[in-house]
Amino acid sequence: MNRARILAVAGKEWREILRDRLFFTMAFGVPLLIMLVLGYGLSLDVENIPFAVVDHDRSELSRDYIHRFSDSRYFHLLGYAENEGGLSRLLAASRIRLALVIPDRFQERLLADRPVEVQALVDGMFPYRAQTLKGYLDAIGAEWNRELLVAFLGRTRGVTPERAAELAAPVRLQTRYLFNQALKSDWSMASGLMMLVLMVSPPFLTALGVVREKESGSIYNIYASTVSRGEFILGKLIPYVGVSCFNILVLWWIATAVFHAPFKGDPFFYYLASVVYVICTAGIGLLVSILVRTQVAAVLLTMVITFIPAMLYSGLLVPVESMSAEARFQARLFPPYWYLQIAWGAFLKGLGWRSLWLPVALLAGYAALLWTLGLALFHKRPTR
Amino acid sequence: MALLEVRNFGKRYRKRRAVAGVSFSLERGELFGLIGPDGAGKSSLMKAVAGVLAYEEGLVTAFGVPLDSEGNAERVKGRMGFMPQGLGLNLYPDLSVEENVDFFARLREVPVEVLRERKGRLLAMTRLEPFRDRAMKKLSGGMKQKLGLVCTLIHQPELVILDEPTTGVDPLSRRDFWAILAELLEEQGCSALVSTAYLDEASRFHRLAFLHQGQLLDEGTPEALLARAPGTVVQFRASSPATAAARLKRRFAGVESYGDRVRLFLADTAPQEARRQVAQALGGLEVSELETLEPELEDAFIRLLPAAQERPSPILPGAPGPAARAARTLIEARELVRDFGSFRAVDGVSFQVREGEIFGLLGANGAGKTTVIKMLTGLLPPTAGEGRVAGADMGASSLAIRQRIGYMSQAFSLYRDMTVRENIRLYGGIYGLHGRELAARMAWVLEMAGLEGAEGERAGRLPMGMRQRLALGCALVHRPPVLFLDEPTSGVDPLGRRRFWELLTWLSRGESVTILITTHYMSEAEHCDRVALMHAGRLVADDTPDRLRQALEKEAGRLLELRVDRPMAALRVLRPHFTGVSLHGSRLHLFAKRPKEAPSLIRSLLGRAGIALQGVRQRSPGMEDVFLYRMGALEER
Repeated sequence: MNRARILAVAGKEWREILRDRLFFTMAFGVPLLIMLVLGYGLSLDVENIPFAVVDHDRSELSRDYIHRFSDSRYFHLLGYAENEGGLSRLLAASRIRLALVIPDRFQERLLADRPVEVQALVDGMFPYRAQTLKGYLDAIGAEWNRELLVAFLGRTRGVTPERAAELAAPVRLQTRYLFNQALKSDWSMASGLMMLVLMVSPPFLTALGVVREKESGSIYNIYASTVSRGEFILGKLIPYVGVSCFNILVLWWIATAVFHAPFKGDPFFYYLASVVYVICTAGIGLLVSILVRTQVAAVLLTMVITFIPAMLYSGLLVPVESMSAEARFQARLFPPYWYLQIAWGAFLKGLGWRSLWLPVALLAGYAALLWTLGLALFHKRPTR
Repeated sequence: MALLEVRNFGKRYRKRRAVAGVSFSLERGELFGLIGPDGAGKSSLMKAVAGVLAYEEGLVTAFGVPLDSEGNAERVKGRMGFMPQGLGLNLYPDLSVEENVDFFARLREVPVEVLRERKGRLLAMTRLEPFRDRAMKKLSGGMKQKLGLVCTLIHQPELVILDEPTTGVDPLSRRDFWAILAELLEEQGCSALVSTAYLDEASRFHRLAFLHQGQLLDEGTPEALLARAPGTVVQFRASSPATAAARLKRRFAGVESYGDRVRLFLADTAPQEARRQVAQALGGLEVSELETLEPELEDAFIRLLPAAQERPSPILPGAPGPAARAARTLIEARELVRDFGSFRAVDGVSFQVREGEIFGLLGANGAGKTTVIKMLTGLLPPTAGEGRVAGADMGASSLAIRQRIGYMSQAFSLYRDMTVRENIRLYGGIYGLHGRELAARMAWVLEMAGLEGAEGERAGRLPMGMRQRLALGCALVHRPPVLFLDEPTSGVDPLGRRRFWELLTWLSRGESVTILITTHYMSEAEHCDRVALMHAGRLVADDTPDRLRQALEKEAGRLLELRVDRPMAALRVLRPHFTGVSLHGSRLHLFAKRPKEAPSLIRSLLGRAGIALQGVRQRSPGMEDVFLYRMGALEER
């Protein structure tokens, strides 16, 4: 390893990153953009669900029932429809996600202590949202029933409302959420998005950085010179890893300052672990650059092999524990899974070396493997 | 021992064989040329020699080291310099001239003090010194090429490998390039392997090899190659060149016509006999200025090409007599200007092309040729000025223009996955042809382009020459009176180019098609009725090839070719006394105002320096010489 040659390559690369407007944007702008766009856009909170109602009863009680929905922060009442046909049209046009049909004689039957059936039509197109919605419906329905039961007990047993409430629900479950007390998906999402951005951005930069030299032909300057393979790869990748190390700080700032995610862990540990992760993902870019010859192919391949594991197998959107056995195994094969443990652990749980040494060690091993493979597969005398 | 030894070299890309059985060697101090069209295998060979491409067959040995593994190749890379194909493509556009040089130097570990001295000298020699801090992307094509050379030479390699360093560069930069290269080779005592697609550059080399379709056809000094192609070139003027050419074609191959001149090469025939045979074949047709000449390297190359490669060009039907010189102007450009941001690509260009004329627009990459064509065809609005094509104003009625023109671009805009017939049908359909009319045009295109029998072939699988003619046919399918051709012959082999020009001549004479063609092959200008040279967005000359040549001989004198024993030294001795002194391999070219007295003056000048003059002969100047002279005069102003 010759330091002067590594520095020559790294220095040239660094100048190009700073001067090429496209590359500069890719290096510093795009990570920021992904973070902000997905941070604001990819909220998994199901709130303000638009809904409409057909109220055949139009009584005091039916209005009271509807208010139970429209008053909560989960639902937003768009209006009333004349009949079920109107609801279908609104559902089909995706104007509403939920429709309620209240039958006539709703109040009359309830006051007579007779059961009634209310119909809820739920847009099931997006199952995750539909299931969450069903949970809200069940909760509001149960609360309404409990109140009716309390009123009934008070009437028939002649007990105080407090006593009636105790009788109606003898076991009360007290729930407290840990780590993300308010269950704000922003908190988890902001730290999780660091995983995504740092999975995607370093490979893009490294792959394009190498492949554009292949495309233009300037790679032949390297092939034809006495620079060793290792010196070239090191010199080429140092600036990109450096840029990403800087981006870690920027992203961390966005997560905490813009999305107000709490950071409870050890910053030094977290930064070091992130650097290991960046070195690892840059290695993915290195491998891509060896496999393809055009920038278009590099973009497509990088997209596929970074976005998919980061989105689907990391646990960011779907908990890995709830996947099938095969998928759980697969998820553990990709670096994002391990880094997400680190990110959530450090941000929300305040964990450090003691609990998270294994993911860090695995990422380091991964990085070593990718870089070794890259070095072995890179040739200065290719066959085409 | 030879510096470089190539034995039975062969290279495949998957199933396709790119090069096979090539052998040659290069001695220390030699300037060796690899000459051939696109796809001849030049680049594969050069990359293998530079140790940047693995190969399967044969062996390349450089500096006594067999380049048979990555490790072995590494051992000699410090002593070699390699410049890949593509004008400045291997340089870094966002770095300045100096930063580019520094990067190459640091890569090669040139010590700082050595670098400072060498950089200064090389930049001065290439006249890049004033542009040290300019970003490489803002250099002209010729400057990029020179910067590439400086970067390749910064570590003083013993062997330089340059892949098509002159393709697409203007003649002036090309001449500079050859001069700098020769000087550096002598000064540094290094050797060079250089490839080119221009046959007229063949004389620049000490030794050269003709490559064609992956085969080495012949190899040797220019003299030896010419000696192996004995014969005579006959050239004359005819009042009806088409008739003369048609008569000659019945007996001879390789008949070409340039305007009213006809030229043909008779292999293995002495001048006397050649005159007799030509006169007989012409059968009493009246010709003038008949002369016999020595064959050129291009004749030698064409002679070596496999004869059965393509069917001989048919004698096209209805080839008429002299071109009807109607006074009607079909293309007119008036003070055309086009700016791209602060850059003026085209600057006050005016010219007129009359019906049935072949008008050549010549110039380097970036001279503004394509921009002019795009404005005339209505694809690009001009910043100022106006133009008319076939009676339609290019600004106002681009749709009307498009019906009246055919346009064939550099990249042969064919659909490669569609067959010949499908391509023609598609272009016919685009111009609204159908039914019987389309069928008739289809037949016409197939016959004209010599594609009968290949109707079902995919366009992408056709040889370069046929693909080029198919593209021409597609551009002509709607019978346009005006045809625009943008570098249609780039990368096509000399035989294919000759045949293509034959077609163009026939189209202009027989079908009265008005043709505007751009090219960076200066030798092709001879085929045009009129040529205009563009340089940096301006028109610097516009006349017939003959008149341009005459003007040159009047202003600069006659072109002499000298054979001397120490050409570099002779160059330095003669430069103060003559204009246009340049090195061509081991020969020198210069202009002499008094050609009769010049040889004795030269002999005495050289004699005083102890250089022997071995021979002098007059040459007819080519278009390249004309433009070099014109542009040289322009630069001095």
